[in-house]
Amino acid sequence: MQLTRRQLIAAGGLAAAAAALPAAASPAVRVRIRKFAFDPDTVSIKAGERIEWVNEDFAPHTATEDDYSWDTGELGKGSTASVLFETPGTHSYYCAYHPHMKARIVVTA
Amino acid sequence: MTFRLLSAAVLAGAMVLPAHAAEPMNDLEIAHTAYTAGQLDIRYAHLALAVSENADVRSFAETMIRDHSAVNSAAVDLITELNVTPQDNDLSRALVQGAADKRAELMGLSGSAFDCAYAQNELGYHQVVNKTVEESFIPAVTVAPLKELLTDALATFKVHEGHAEQMVSNLQCS
Ligand SMILES: [Cu+2]
Repeated sequence: MQLTRRQLIAAGGLAAAAAALPAAASPAVRVRIRKFAFDPDTVSIKAGERIEWVNEDFAPHTATEDDYSWDTGELGKGSTASVLFETPGTHSYYCAYHPHMKARIVVTA
Repeated sequence: MTFRLLSAAVLAGAMVLPAHAAEPMNDLEIAHTAYTAGQLDIRYAHLALAVSENADVRSFAETMIRDHSAVNSAAVDLITELNVTPQDNDLSRALVQGAADKRAELMGLSGSAFDCAYAQNELGYHQVVNKTVEESFIPAVTVAPLKELLTDALATFKVHEGHAEQMVSNLQCS
């Protein structure tokens, strides 16, 4: 998906990308990952907002865009990561480790 | 609680369980057995990564290592926090022996014969372990945080069971 430019912050392993984001300036909408599902599984936000994922399962998960245009990387239990969505559009994503876990983000103008 | 569940299902896998298996297990034995079951699945997965060239099988094995390691590290944290020592027992020893036998069998295989045997064993293993955790361990455990951990672990293992089922059917083993 090339219509969106995003910046990524992940709790672990992506420090370089995290540094690029001005300290949590934009509001974040939280998506919980629990019992092997994204909750809620569809989120609508406005362009310029962030989604923050928090993993509540023991099993590590990811939130990975279907076309790999963004990826939180591995989230252990209690870890969070966020992605900034600057352009309107719809994103389908899944967990790279448990591909049956699917969800959607709708970014409006 | 008895070992009936496990022993019945495990017979197919040539796992021999002790004759006097009807003694109820305590929390520490249950904790040890659940931990052992996870470690054994991690060992199976390492074997699969050493032998298999099938991308689906390898990715399944990687997920087993990742998830079971996470659950077992949470178990270690809990054990440390509670300051207790898990106890070896007949069931955990039977699991260890059964898995050693199974690994020996798997090591004699390669290619799709290995993939099919590994996948079918993963399915059977998760079915048996899940049934035991759900119907025996969780109802019997008395310490709340351990019950909670087992419940969360079961959710993970059930997802694995579903994946294993999918893997078996994708491999089209006879
Ligand atoms: Cu996942």
